[in-house]
Amino acid sequence: MRYHWLVSSLTLLISACSTASPEQAQVAAPIHIRWSTDPIALDPLAFPNQNAVEAAALLHLSLLQNDYQTDSFTACLAEQLPTVQFVGDSVTRLEYHLRPAAKWDDGRPVLATDVDFTLKLMQCPGLPNEMSRTQFSFIRQVLPDPVDPRHFTLVCRGQAVEMINASGDFPILPEAALDAQHTLRALPLAVLQDWPAAKVPLPPVAALVRRYQSADIARTPGNLPGCGPYRLVVWEHNRHVLFSRKATWWADSLHAAPFVLQARPQLLDYLIMPEDAAATIALRRHELDVYPHMSARSFQQLQTSESVRQEFAFYTEPSYDVVVVGFNTSRATLRNKLTRQALSRLLDPAGLLAATQLGQGSLTVGLLPPTNPFYNDSLAALTYAPSQAQALLLKAGWQRQPDGNWQQPGSKEPLALALRYRADDATFATIALQFRAAAAKLGIIVTLVPTEANVLSSALKSGDFDICVRTLKGSPFGLNFSVYFHSKAIGTSNFSRFNQYATDHLLEAIEVESNRLRKRHLLRNFQERIRDEVPLVPLFFLSNRLVTNKQLRHVVTSGLKPGYAVQALMWAQTDSLASGPTP
Amino acid sequence: MLAAWGIASLVFLVSRVLPVSPEQVALIEAEDLSRAVGPASAVQLAASQQAIRQRLGLAAPVFYITRIPGSTNDWQWNGLHNQYHDWLSQVLHGNLGKSYLDGQPVTTLLAHALAYSVPLAGSAAVLATTLALVLALFLASASGGGGRTLVQASLAALQVIPLFLLALTLLLLLANPEMLNLMPESSRSPAPNQLAAIGRWAGRAALPILSLVLAVLPTLTLPLAASLRHELNAAYATTARAKGLPIGRVLRRHLLPNALLPLFTTLTDLLPTLVAGTVVVEVAFSLPGSGRLLAEAAAAHDYPIVVAGVLLLAGVRLLCLIAADMLYFMADPRLRPTT
Repeated sequence: MRYHWLVSSLTLLISACSTASPEQAQVAAPIHIRWSTDPIALDPLAFPNQNAVEAAALLHLSLLQNDYQTDSFTACLAEQLPTVQFVGDSVTRLEYHLRPAAKWDDGRPVLATDVDFTLKLMQCPGLPNEMSRTQFSFIRQVLPDPVDPRHFTLVCRGQAVEMINASGDFPILPEAALDAQHTLRALPLAVLQDWPAAKVPLPPVAALVRRYQSADIARTPGNLPGCGPYRLVVWEHNRHVLFSRKATWWADSLHAAPFVLQARPQLLDYLIMPEDAAATIALRRHELDVYPHMSARSFQQLQTSESVRQEFAFYTEPSYDVVVVGFNTSRATLRNKLTRQALSRLLDPAGLLAATQLGQGSLTVGLLPPTNPFYNDSLAALTYAPSQAQALLLKAGWQRQPDGNWQQPGSKEPLALALRYRADDATFATIALQFRAAAAKLGIIVTLVPTEANVLSSALKSGDFDICVRTLKGSPFGLNFSVYFHSKAIGTSNFSRFNQYATDHLLEAIEVESNRLRKRHLLRNFQERIRDEVPLVPLFFLSNRLVTNKQLRHVVTSGLKPGYAVQALMWAQTDSLASGPTP
Repeated sequence: MLAAWGIASLVFLVSRVLPVSPEQVALIEAEDLSRAVGPASAVQLAASQQAIRQRLGLAAPVFYITRIPGSTNDWQWNGLHNQYHDWLSQVLHGNLGKSYLDGQPVTTLLAHALAYSVPLAGSAAVLATTLALVLALFLASASGGGGRTLVQASLAALQVIPLFLLALTLLLLLANPEMLNLMPESSRSPAPNQLAAIGRWAGRAALPILSLVLAVLPTLTLPLAASLRHELNAAYATTARAKGLPIGRVLRRHLLPNALLPLFTTLTDLLPTLVAGTVVVEVAFSLPGSGRLLAEAAAAHDYPIVVAGVLLLAGVRLLCLIAADMLYFMADPRLRPTT
């Protein structure tokens, strides 16, 4: 006991010398988030992958942005959703007001001229803006208000409800940073859009392109500061990307900032870990705090451990991505809908959901999730029914041969199908194997063709397949199924090459219908039609699985990518400091 | 060098005739993003593809002569304005081009990646060679017994385990809080001094290096041990042992120089194994090295990086062959060229 005073003094001294208390350390600690791939480029005009989209949302703001609390688009830089005016039968006018508080980092206000500049920048040749160029070409003109510099109207070609969200879903860039002389203001947007590819660009356009290229924004996004809440601190290619919260950000001064304009974490550190098993171990080692899109197996395994459950929180949220089996309806063997109906009875959606997702997900009758108010719950869930399949094949005119195969009368060709799926996905492989086994029992020859992802996408576009297994990306924002079933989309996104006048007409009606009751009727009708025609078989909706450190608060999960609202996250200690001492 | 140029040219030309082109890959990725705008129409897609081809320099003819579109036997002369000529001119000026994905110079990307991979693969090669020498001497000197059997069985087992499985097993066993948690925590703050930085690197690189060492160890050890045992039966070895030299000294002094010659060839062949190994190890341990860069570039059809990687590997392979020849000359004077 005689040295007790010495030990106490040393302990005090060490405590005093340490830079921060554990609580303080947690307040400033970065939130480590798993990314499976590098964002590749942080250019606001080009998004090479989903991680680049996430990064852009930290650095830049759009007029409208996803609100992960409600899975809907809400006003961000815009004060409110645009007012819509349909003009004639082919033009839409969308009227926007920008937030008066919105400012760039140098204190300049965000104005309609910045929106106009961004749209024009998207049309400049020689920049990596090819996708934006086509996606936003429906906006033909920006009409500024001569009195109010924050008020403008977008004149859009076409009429569709989905256009409202799309018109505000692009990062707004500062005109002053790239075009301080306002050289593009005199040039109408439509002129840039219609500029022939072979024609030499106008001198101001060429000069702007040179300035943009020399700024190397893809790697040094700081050269084009956005009005978002974060700035890039470190980016080690294929290793980690660190973002830091701006000390002063214009939205902090808002009286009641909407959810999309809240940014709580001080530091966000995205660790790039391509391998799932390594990422799971990193999570266990507390090198990761947020692990989105965890595989069903790892998610279930981790949950079985008591110690893991004490340290981490587990969340599942239904996503909008649906796994489907598609038929190439242009193939002679699959042209008859009865044949497609027969083949659909060979799939076992419930069994496949259990086998591939361990039951995490939801069975569906169509491309709308069961939670959607327009979901057609009158349709019965599809089940494995080989006897029905056989009966339908006979009804379709197929005849069973003595060797067990099926042939059409007058044809020597047996019913033989090639099934393509992405080679690196175990879910697709399991579905393909189940279908082949069920088909073999009935004497249908199915050849599996596992294919590299890019080659598969090209094969689907060109129609080089009989059957395919794939995921369709959905969203709660729009109910535009034209992309998958309209005859105009054959060769691009209508991979089943479904071509029916009545369906085209129905899809066009759904696109423009704004009355909720009528839309419900049309969509239920559409789901019935797809069930009857079977250009594809929706099997089940996938789940978003998220694991987070239990010390993180305000975890808002979403069915949309990335599956959670990163800007809402907050360390428990910070949260308690912010809310003050509890009485 | 001729072979390196030939292989790189072949990769360059083959990459231009693949069914899926870089602009298609870029647009496929773009379609998968969670944005409000829907997929483009066929006309828009074609326009986007053409614009990307223009930007990446893929719109020009591929080679000096190309087949006339729509014709089977008619060819046309394109002059010097073709993709291959532009690429070759750039390479001769030390410019390997720019990545299709992010527009960065390929040399910069490769240099950053090599800064991770070279220490990793180099350390693994040195450690594996040293360990192989020790183990081979042990296997040759041990006259039967449990130790020799155990080492041989372990090496045989290591040889059949895929590297990916090996790396993940090491990760699960030695960096897992539920097993042994030996790997130090990652720290991204700058190290206070050079020594601390090296220590930190060694701590994090230990498991990747161990994976690579274990992967190549059987390839190096087993042939060397067999060679030593073969030499042990030679007359000069019997004489040395008859003169009373201990077995260890006979092995090191008399047999090893002769048995080493096949090892040099094996070491030269080690390069492809290590390159393949670094791809796997860099993925498993999330390291941003050259193996991962090349694998990802191949998957994304980022051909400037792929072609540069091929050139680099061919060059290093050439250097390895020269180094092996020099080692041969040093180990066996009889092999030196006579003037």
